[in-house]
Amino acid sequence: MRLAGRDSRKLSRKHIRFEKSEDDSMPPFLMKHGWFQRADSLPLDEVMAVFMPRGRSYTGFDQVEIYCHGGAEVVKLLLEELLRSGARAAEPGEFTRLAFLSGRIDLAKAEAVAEMIEARTANSLEAAREHLTGAYSEHIDMLRNGLVAVLAEIEASIDFPEEEIAPDGGKTLADDLEKLIEQVAELKDSYSSGRILRDGFRIVIGGRPNAGKSTLFNLLLKQERALVTEQPGTTRDYLSEWIEIEGVPVNLIDTAGLRLGGSRIEKAGQNIARKLIDKSDLLIWVVDMSRKRWRAELKSDLQDLKANHILLVGNKIDALTKPLELGCFSPSAESVMISCRSGEGLDRFSRMLASIIMASVSDMTSGLIVTSARHKQKLTRALSRMKKAGRMLKRSESPELIGFELKQAVVELDELTGRIYNDEILERIFSKFCIGK
Amino acid sequence: MSNRDFDIIVVGGGHAGVEAARAAARMGRQVALVTMDKSRLALMSCNPAVGGIGKSHLVKEVDALGGLMGEAIDATGIQFRRLNLSRGPAVWSTRAQADRIRYNEYVCNRIKAIPRITIIEETVARIIVENDAVCGVGCESNREISGSAVIICSGTFLSGLIHIGKKQIKAGRMDEPAAVGLSASLKEYGFEIGRLKTGTPPRLDGKTIDFSVCKEQPGEDPIPFFSCRSEKRRFKQVSCYLTDTTTTTKKLITNSFDQSAIFSGQIKATGPRYCPSIEDKFFRFPDKPTHQIFLEPEGNGTDEIYPNGFSTALPESIQREAIRTVRGLEKAEITRPGYAVEYDFCPPHQIKLSLETRLVAGLFLAGQINGTSGYEEAAAQGLIAGLNASLYLMDQPAVVLDRSEAYIGVMIDDLCTRPITEPYRMFTSRAEYRLALREDNARDRLTVYADRYGLIDRQESEAFAQLQHDTNILIDKLESTRVRVTELGAAGDRFRKADKVSLGNLIRQPHLTLEESIGLVISLNPELNSGGESLIRAAIQIRYKGYLAKQKREIDKFRKLETMIIPDRFDYQAITGLKKEAIERLTRYRPQSLGQAGRLEGVSPGDLAILSVHLKRQGAFSG
Repeated sequence: MRLAGRDSRKLSRKHIRFEKSEDDSMPPFLMKHGWFQRADSLPLDEVMAVFMPRGRSYTGFDQVEIYCHGGAEVVKLLLEELLRSGARAAEPGEFTRLAFLSGRIDLAKAEAVAEMIEARTANSLEAAREHLTGAYSEHIDMLRNGLVAVLAEIEASIDFPEEEIAPDGGKTLADDLEKLIEQVAELKDSYSSGRILRDGFRIVIGGRPNAGKSTLFNLLLKQERALVTEQPGTTRDYLSEWIEIEGVPVNLIDTAGLRLGGSRIEKAGQNIARKLIDKSDLLIWVVDMSRKRWRAELKSDLQDLKANHILLVGNKIDALTKPLELGCFSPSAESVMISCRSGEGLDRFSRMLASIIMASVSDMTSGLIVTSARHKQKLTRALSRMKKAGRMLKRSESPELIGFELKQAVVELDELTGRIYNDEILERIFSKFCIGK
Repeated sequence: MSNRDFDIIVVGGGHAGVEAARAAARMGRQVALVTMDKSRLALMSCNPAVGGIGKSHLVKEVDALGGLMGEAIDATGIQFRRLNLSRGPAVWSTRAQADRIRYNEYVCNRIKAIPRITIIEETVARIIVENDAVCGVGCESNREISGSAVIICSGTFLSGLIHIGKKQIKAGRMDEPAAVGLSASLKEYGFEIGRLKTGTPPRLDGKTIDFSVCKEQPGEDPIPFFSCRSEKRRFKQVSCYLTDTTTTTKKLITNSFDQSAIFSGQIKATGPRYCPSIEDKFFRFPDKPTHQIFLEPEGNGTDEIYPNGFSTALPESIQREAIRTVRGLEKAEITRPGYAVEYDFCPPHQIKLSLETRLVAGLFLAGQINGTSGYEEAAAQGLIAGLNASLYLMDQPAVVLDRSEAYIGVMIDDLCTRPITEPYRMFTSRAEYRLALREDNARDRLTVYADRYGLIDRQESEAFAQLQHDTNILIDKLESTRVRVTELGAAGDRFRKADKVSLGNLIRQPHLTLEESIGLVISLNPELNSGGESLIRAAIQIRYKGYLAKQKREIDKFRKLETMIIPDRFDYQAITGLKKEAIERLTRYRPQSLGQAGRLEGVSPGDLAILSVHLKRQGAFSG
């Protein structure tokens, strides 16, 4: 149990009778043993407690941590006592917010704490940890400093026109900016991986009724989760489960079959399915190869579907007399033939699935990944300013306008890490150039 | 108050002092201008020039507020030109060489002609304070002058110490005594005093210089004057010359480092990095083989030349030897040696944005005493101090220009917000809203203040209102007049797809310079060139239209924080969660708004958030 704020020590001392009851002080970082009591001195639980002073605690504020016995009821009981004595229940993430407010961590780190808590797989945790250790903030600071260095040269050429600064250096300046643009773009693009690590890779299994979608869903889950029957339209709503493939969190969604007609409930399910497909990272479209009209059906289905990435799965090949191929139907879609019943082709299917997922998080190896939409937005804005500045620099447009764009880009990056734009440009100018008549 | 000798006492008759005295007199105050030598008002101690990048913006602002500097340089300048013309109009800057003696005489005459100003020749040794409010000054002669407000503009005279090699002379300028009592008096009232350094080059006899090997820098025609009140006089401009030091210079100076007062440890204070001594240049940038030297004439009636870029504190003998290694100066004679000067200043966290000190009511500081350098920076502060001292006596709120309104606002906010580690000089890069703060629109930004406080004549503000009106009509015309692309010649290539293009659009084309596009506009529609300023003013506003709109949004955001006022005696210690460093800074600088607090070093966004919550809770932002 964690208490933070000016009165946290006072409040703890009120409730805890320490082992040596004559000494109720709580010196910093000394774990003390005692009994947690009700206001009327009734002992409630045996606890240990430690005080961490302002500036040296997680939140940066005065803080007390109380270690009681596990068990929801015990915790609830002690919590109620503390609330009765004037404490307030922390809002979700409030301790981390305090840590940010006290200046102990920057904004990117505060966000990383939330990401660590929410991490679904070891890889997601890894990405979040990079943010928390500051490697990510350092990287952004490095980009920002590079940008300030370019800006300083431009400012120097404006403020010291008689000092023989730059015009020839313009070329290297444009190159420096180009490099920074590439780096920021790379970081921004890592969001596609970052988002997947954070929110999961979303696979929607779709197909006509009774094509074997739920059977495939269950095979992937390796458990009987979806209700499977022989009757078309059994899955009316959709089922969502989390699995892990190659360390990537995967959100697997089994949808209602798409077909014309059917009951109203079924139609509602189909509408949901269409929406899910639109938002998926991968649509696995299951085709019943044993049906006579599968070619015509698939042709019209493919015209109808708006998915980013499609994997065509031809199911029930065990019922076929001669081998068939799906590849020719859509040049953009990959395809594989399987039989859920006999297990034929499933290995190949798994390998394909894994490689598709791995490709989607290909930037992961670099360790520095944008996982938050807010960061992506800031980077996108900074990037567009930088690109504009780059074009203007190449066309030798007015430096005060190039400076305007670059300053905005710096501000975007500063807002990302929550740091204030400080005028260090002159500092850089003076350290680099011999200024002064 | 009525039994006091004067309303306002201005201590020091330099560039800050004369503007302060004039502004206060204009506001109807009886002013005493106390100076050591009344023939030396607004003397140019160093460079015989006014303006330059960023500085000219200050001069134009001073001029818009009715100040004297622009008129003085226009009347006595011998060469005028604009810098940065190849860049955009926001960073165009005017610079003029002055006839040093005539500039000084001109200002003396103008000040003497003002009935409300009494010039007193004395050296002020102390301030007189009653109940935490200033009520006069005491002089070295033991004379006391009573006054209800005091503006100190002491320049380099406050405990001034001149260094030439190992030689040290107690002086404010060469051959002029330092003011030794005043800093002790300020300390007595609790002021923290710091020390700064600046320097000046030796002056040369122009008759001994071979200008034929130097590069000539002529003046600009038509002459770009500073002041909107000046008569556009015609005269023959003189030239400046550009030369370089040689490898011999480098060798000689590098071998003499130990003889310079700057490296011997004799000088404790820091000098400006943007205006280093020649020995500093070779020391800090050992890879740079040569440095530029600008040869600037000191006036029409003299042969004296100011070698800009050769400031030094080396012994006189080495100065002569070193100057003769510079191309064209092989036979040059030194008329006056260069020197470094150390002086006291009053670290400006002790003043409010009005320039009034926090410790003593009615005491205002302006110019080098606030840690700035430069005539223009001094003049701008002097004017604001004169204005605010008058408002103080009239019980009216002070005028504070903010960072989005004027370079003056940027400068004073910087002084009150950032530690002074070297003499402060204006640069355009200090102004974050640079595109909106231009030479050409100084009057658009400031006439409203000049008018409100009677700093300019009614006629002048009416004439300006007419100019604004004409400019706006012209902007509409330019935006709505469309011309055939085929009429544009080569410049029309970019518009091949369109049939017609508006003149406004033409002016915004980045591949044309502003001058080129204006030339095109005039050639297509000669009737739009009515003479006067309105066409160039309109063109600049059109050119920056999109950027100014963006900057306006930033300014609105900025103003929001500026209007969140922090009460004067706010107790930062009482707030939990503020970092110790932040509490120290906030207590030292006492920011007047949340915006200003955020600009302090060591105050993080987290601190600002906490502060904002507390102020809101206390209802500090209401109204």
